[in-house]
Order: sequence, then C-alpha cells, then structure tokens
Amino acid sequence: MKKALALLVALTLLASLAVGSAGALASTPGKLLIWCSEAQVPALKPMAAEFQKKYGVPVMVTEMGFGDIRPNLITKGPSGEGPDLIVGPHDWLGELVANGAVAPIDLTANEESLFTGTAIKAFTYNGKLYGMPYAVEAIGLIYNKKLVPHPPKTLDELMAVAKKLTDPAKKEYGFLYPLGDAYHAYPFLSADGHYFFRLTSKGFDAKDIGIAQMVPGARIIATLTQSGLVPKGSDYNTMASLFQSGKVGMIMTGPWQIDSIKKAGIDYGVAKLPTIDGRPATPFVGVQGFMMSAFSKNKLLAMQFLRDFVMTKEGQLAIHKVDPRIPALKSAFEAVSSDPDLKAFGESAADGIPMPAIPEMAAVWNAVQNALTAITNGQTDPVTAMKTADAQVRKAIAQGAKK
Amino acid sequence: MAHPISSPRPSRPGISFAGRPLALLAAAVILALGAWACVYLYLRGDRWIALILFLGLLATVYVFTSPRVYPLRYIWPGLVFFVLLVVYPIGYTVYSAFTNYGTGHMLSKSQAVQQLQSALYAPPDAKTFTFTAFGDPKGKIVFLLKGADGQLLLAQDGRVKPLSADDPQPVSKDGGQTYERLGDLPAIPPLKLIARLSQLQNQTFAYGESVLSISSLNQFSEMRHQYKYDPQRDVLTNLATGKEYRPKDGYYTSADGQTLSPGFTSRVGFYNFTRLFEDQAIRGPFTEVFIWTLVWATLTVVIQLVAGLALGLLMNDPYLKLRNFYRSVLILPYAIPAFISALVWTGLLNTDVGIINGILRHIIGFNIPWFQSPFWAKVALFLVNLWLGYPYMMLIILGALQSIPGELYEAARVDGATPGQIIRTITLPLLMTTIGPLLVGSFAFNFNNFNVIYLVTGGNPPMVGAQTPAGHTDILISYTYRLAFEGGQGNQLGFAAAISIVIFVIVAVISLIQFRFTRLAEEVSTDYV
Repeated sequence: MKKALALLVALTLLASLAVGSAGALASTPGKLLIWCSEAQVPALKPMAAEFQKKYGVPVMVTEMGFGDIRPNLITKGPSGEGPDLIVGPHDWLGELVANGAVAPIDLTANEESLFTGTAIKAFTYNGKLYGMPYAVEAIGLIYNKKLVPHPPKTLDELMAVAKKLTDPAKKEYGFLYPLGDAYHAYPFLSADGHYFFRLTSKGFDAKDIGIAQMVPGARIIATLTQSGLVPKGSDYNTMASLFQSGKVGMIMTGPWQIDSIKKAGIDYGVAKLPTIDGRPATPFVGVQGFMMSAFSKNKLLAMQFLRDFVMTKEGQLAIHKVDPRIPALKSAFEAVSSDPDLKAFGESAADGIPMPAIPEMAAVWNAVQNALTAITNGQTDPVTAMKTADAQVRKAIAQGAKK
Repeated sequence: MAHPISSPRPSRPGISFAGRPLALLAAAVILALGAWACVYLYLRGDRWIALILFLGLLATVYVFTSPRVYPLRYIWPGLVFFVLLVVYPIGYTVYSAFTNYGTGHMLSKSQAVQQLQSALYAPPDAKTFTFTAFGDPKGKIVFLLKGADGQLLLAQDGRVKPLSADDPQPVSKDGGQTYERLGDLPAIPPLKLIARLSQLQNQTFAYGESVLSISSLNQFSEMRHQYKYDPQRDVLTNLATGKEYRPKDGYYTSADGQTLSPGFTSRVGFYNFTRLFEDQAIRGPFTEVFIWTLVWATLTVVIQLVAGLALGLLMNDPYLKLRNFYRSVLILPYAIPAFISALVWTGLLNTDVGIINGILRHIIGFNIPWFQSPFWAKVALFLVNLWLGYPYMMLIILGALQSIPGELYEAARVDGATPGQIIRTITLPLLMTTIGPLLVGSFAFNFNNFNVIYLVTGGNPPMVGAQTPAGHTDILISYTYRLAFEGGQGNQLGFAAAISIVIFVIVAVISLIQFRFTRLAEEVSTDYV
C-alpha cells in the first residue's frame, strides 16, 4: 500500500505541474493558423513567412486532405482546436454556415469589384459574403487537334463532327463525357434556361425546384447515347484514359485534366462549350477561396492576411503558379489571360452559374445522377426520369424541413 | 489446520521497481501523461471525460499495486482497450441515435447561444471612423476617433464620448491629418498595433444604441448586437424587431416558426427510429433492398465457399507439383487492398471499353451490359466479391484440413470408400465444425459489405420511379448511407446511428439462428468421430 500512496503523491505533484502548462496548448490569439490542401501549400508558406516578417505575427500553414478540411472544421472548430482560415470551394458553404462554422467577412463595394462577379456571387450566402475567392473553374471542351482541327461552335456541329469520328469497334469516339455525373451533365440539363434551383438575388431558392422541367436537356443526353455517339459505359476514367490514348476527338471536362493530357503527349486545344439551340451553355462554376472560421480568435489579423495576399495581383499569381486555375481577381486574370487554355475555360465559366452551395444540393446530386443513369441505360424516358428525380428531391427536402 | 506438507500460499507481490529503472520510468511517464490530460480536459470544460480518465488512472494504479486483484493485471490492458475501442463507440452510437446530431445541429446549445449572442450587424446608416491609438503598445490604449464630419471622439474604458476641452488634447504637426501625441501619450504606429489586434478586436465601446469596435488596421465601425439572450427564460430576442425565439427541436424558434441558424444538438427520443419505420418514402424501396441484401450475403458466402473449398482441396493434395507456388499466387488477391481491386474491376467490366467485354465480344458476339442491367450488375458484384473473398475461404479451409486426422482417411480407404464418399462423409462434416462459425462471420461481414457495393456499382442501376433514390444493387447499408448522408440535409449522424442499431439487430438475429444450425452440425459430426 505504501507504494500506491507514493505513486498517488507523485501523481498529484505532476497534476499541479500540468495546471501550469495546460494554457499553452489551447489556441492562443495573436497567431494565425491556415488549413489548406496540398495544392496551395507551396504558395502559402512564403506568404506566411512574409507576413511574419512584416508584422511579427506568426502564421502556421497546415496541410490537410482536401476532403478532411470541412468535417474537421465542423467538429474541431467548436472545441477550440480549429484554424483561423480554411481554403476550399464555395459549395462547402451550405453545410459550414448551417453548422455555424464560418463567419462572414466584410469587404467594401470597391474591394468586391476587384473580383469577378461570379466569384463574389458564389461566396455570397444568405446575402452575406463568406469568403475571399482566389480561383474560378468550369468545364470546357477539350479537343484533340489531330482529329478535330476546328472545335465546333454549336451542339449540332459537335454531333456532326463526333459522328464522323466514332467507330466503337476500333474504340474510337468523337465525343465523350462522364454520363452518370450530374456536374458534367449540367450544361446539357440546363439547356433552354432550366435549373436545379432558381438563382435569385439572395442566392439559390430551395423552394423553386426546376428539375422536372429539364426535359430538353435530358433529351439531348438520351440522343447522345441512343445514337451510339457516347457509349453507355462512359465514365470519368474511361473518358480520361481514352482521350489520353489519342482515340477521342473531344471531351467535356475541367482544367484538372490538362496536366495528364499534356503528359500523355496529346496535341490538344481548349474551347468554350458549344452553344445549345443558340444559347450559350451554362456549366456549373466552382470557386475556390479562403473562408474564416467562426471560432477564430484572430479575425482582424486573418483579414489583414487576406487583404495583403489574396486581394493582390502578386498573391493571386503566386497561388496561380502552383494551383493553375483561373484567378478570381480581375487584374490577376488579365495577367494570365494570354494562356489560351485558361482563356477558353474562363469564357466557359463566364456563361456559367455558381454551383449551388445550399445543403439541399446533396439531395439533387443523388436523385439526378440516378435519373441520368436511368436515361442513358435506356431504362426510362427523359420525361419520367426527370419527374421522378424532381419528386425525390422535393420529398427529401420536405423530410428535412420537418425536423 | 496446519499440515506439514502444505506449502505456503504463493506470495503475490505488488510490482517491484527495484532494479528496474526503465519500468519505473515508463510507469511514471504514463501516469504523468494521464494526470496532465485529466487536468487539461478539466480546464477545457470536458469535466466528464476528465473524471472518467481520472477514475481510470486510479483503477490502474490500484490494479497494478494491490496484491488482492493480482490476476486482473493480465487482462487489464485488454480491458482498457476494450472499453476505449468497443464499449465507448457503441455507447456513443446508441446515444447519438436518440439525438438530432448532424448538419445544423453540431454545436452544443451554449455554443449556439454564444454565437448568436455575439453576432453583430451594421445598422443601415452605420458610421465609420478613422482612428489613432495612443499609449503603450503593451499596456493601456486610448483611441482617438475621427468621423466623416471631422468630429473627434475619445474611446476608452468601454465608452465613446466627444473629445472635450477637459480631456488631454491631441497634438498634430500636419494640421490634423495625423496625430503625434494625445496629452502625454505617444501615438502607436499601426504596425506596432497589429500584434495586439486579436485582443483589441473583442473590445467594444458603447455608442448610443450601438457599439463601436475596431474593424481594420485603420478603421472603427458602428455595429449593433443582433440578439440578446435571457438565461433565466432561455429566450433569444432579436433587438431590431423584438421577436422572441425559444429552443424547439434543436433550433431557437419564433412563435411563427422562424428558426435561427446555427441550431444545436438536442435529444429527440425515438424520432430517428419511428422515421425509419413510418416514412413511406423510406419504406418504399426497403423490401426490395432487404431481400437483395439477404440474397447477396448468402449467395456470396456460398460462392466463395465453393471456390475456396475446391481450391483448398486441390492445394492440399500432396501429389500436386509446385503446390507452394500455386498457393502463393492464389493468395495474391487477398494481398491487394480491396479498394484498389474493386476499382480495377469496374474498369475491366466497363461495358464498352472494358477488356472483359472485349474478349466476350469475340466469343459471343455482343456486349454484356454489366452495370446497365440489374441482373448483370448483380452478377458483376458476385464476380468481384468472389475474387476478393475466395483467398480467405481457401486459407481457412487449408488450415482446417490439417486438423482432420489422417487415420480417418486411411480407415475409409481400407473400407473401400471412393474419393467422393470420403469427401462427402469425412472431409465436409469435419470441415464444417471448424469453419461453420467463420461462415457466419463472413455472412455478417458481407451483409454490411459497403465497400464493394459502393465502389463497384454504387448501388446502380437505379430503381425507376422509386420515391427515394435507390438502386437495384443497393444493400441495406449503402441504401441507408444514401438516406443519411446524401439525402439533402447534409450529414444526419443521429439518423445514421439509429439505422446502424437496427441493422445490428437484424444481423444479430440472423447470426444467432445460423449459430444454432452450426451447433446442430457440430453435434452431428461429433457422433461421427
């Protein structure tokens, strides 16, 4: 028993020591912490060093898996272990705002006008600005110059060109895109001005659901598959690998594919998405930016960091260098617009609409993806498929409103 | 009663650290860390976790020092991990099933109140001020504010008042553009202020109905509090409209049903369970999904068992040349992570460009719609899962075969039994006693085999016309994943917890029945031996 006593005494002594040190681990004001994914680290590290040199305020940049940032902020923010700033796409906002994880940021009208309108619109949620954008992206038409010397300007041209190039027996295709993916299908689905949720001046209206009306677009998709142009098994990986092997004339996807295509040695070009029935195609636009944690103890310091490095041409170009997407700051975009790829993706994005950030979108992805698969499989007709998806979304949202 | 031969009871000493400084050091470090964690958690406000950890530490010290509970020492580490890794997660899941924990309800109530309470908004005609700070960068700071109309205000001690003749006067060298001193206090350049910005940002100065606070390195802004909280009545009042919000179903809700975001976690009783059973939309595809789950789990075990058995018997044949080589090759699918194999298989089975259809086209002349038709999608799943699962079956069967005594076979041969008879009457019954329980385990595993379904077909092809998105190859766990995480309200963790409890009950019942049957098989085979 003596030993037990001795151990207990030691324990108490150590505990009293711990009281002193416990304060040091809690997040302290006067020190900035940024969570970002791999892509931005090389750009942010030098900025952190510069900020520290200029103001004497230490800045920590922590790399995290892209998919981990949002859930970690939601769970660790409230317990005081979260960062001051996170880097991520605008469509995280719905969940982050609903969970009270991010705080609005204040920019003057002048400051807002430095950014492209789409970028600011994307980060505006419930009428408040929740992030400072640094990059914009949307899908465009990537084509193999050897097979398609002049990219088509309209959907009809595209189908005509594709028809000539398609020979399934040789695994040669004129045009591919990931069939079952609602994000890639959106330029078609939104043909004729249709929408998942209507975009109002206050953001997307979750009560105004237009999925059942997306029949013209759904018919285009049905035609593409039933005419044998796009094979039923066309998913993202199939599209990417076939294009990289030089067997595909055109694909519809985003700038993230460019790197692999270059490495595969394909002589490629990028064009704006073709017009559909005389109207410009409206792809979903994703905007990357910096968001402020609601639990940050350094909101003003974080704002200073954003004003110094994200609201400046130099800062945006530095990020662009390691994360080559379309800069969201007008002056930075002009500086890089001589790059034809970026220019084309930029033009596609200019006609697009921000991807809805409202949490209700989760129901849409699931339902519309099911509808797309049913259409392209030939399991059902476009009208029924879109009607079913519409009903499913309404049901899911109503269920959510009940609680 | 003393007995001459009886030896004294073996002594069970407490742990002696004499001559074992490393052990002593390790024990001290562990205890110190534990004690530190206790205090840290307590100071952070996690009192219950701190208390439980403290009791755990006390118990550990007791177990390892008291001779009375000596045998407990051997299983103590196991017990600790059992509680941490099994009991706690199960307990937390059960608890969560009775809450609305999930998107919109992640914060605790006090956190939600605090966030709403500290929410500021700019009134329509909000004023802004430029400012100069005076004093000691590390000590007390006084702010001199200058409005758009040129009026000078003094901000200190939480209040703002116009600068009067009695106050210390600002000294400027450039006619009021910049100030050098305020009375005796020197001006602080903005760059010096920045290190303290994080403390200063929380300071507010009363200004009529509003407050003024620092909004950037060179500006003060007028702000108003949006809500006031009355802890006695547990009511949040919107200061602009006077509307009152009371806690209801995890949100502060006004009389006319308006809710304030963020909400908070609250207990909802059996709501998550009743929803599962009463909601028409969920029940719609449920029957089909449930039947397919049973078929999937049963058939996949049967298929894997047959393949494993055939290969196991073959590999056990001592006359087979290069036996070890074949064994190693056949184990390979088991060595490759299932995630990768599953994704590779989706590529191989691709309807138009996959290599399997490429070969089949030459043989049968047309493509099999692997992922487009419900029937073939199911066949594809069995195929992929056969690839993933047969090595496990082969391994356990090879192991079990070694435990069947050779004399039995010898006796059978002497009696003139054919190889088929030997397998049917000796090998199989004896095998079943060993691998029967493992088959039940395999069934339970495949019943919840989310990975394969999600990665290979994603539940597709879709059920046309279903009220809730579901697919023909969705099993219970992937279907409920759609409901809880892709249902349109973010992550409904509480609902997901409730579903996992229900699935646990189903699997437990089925397993119990199966164990009964294996026990029967065991009894039968014991009669044989």
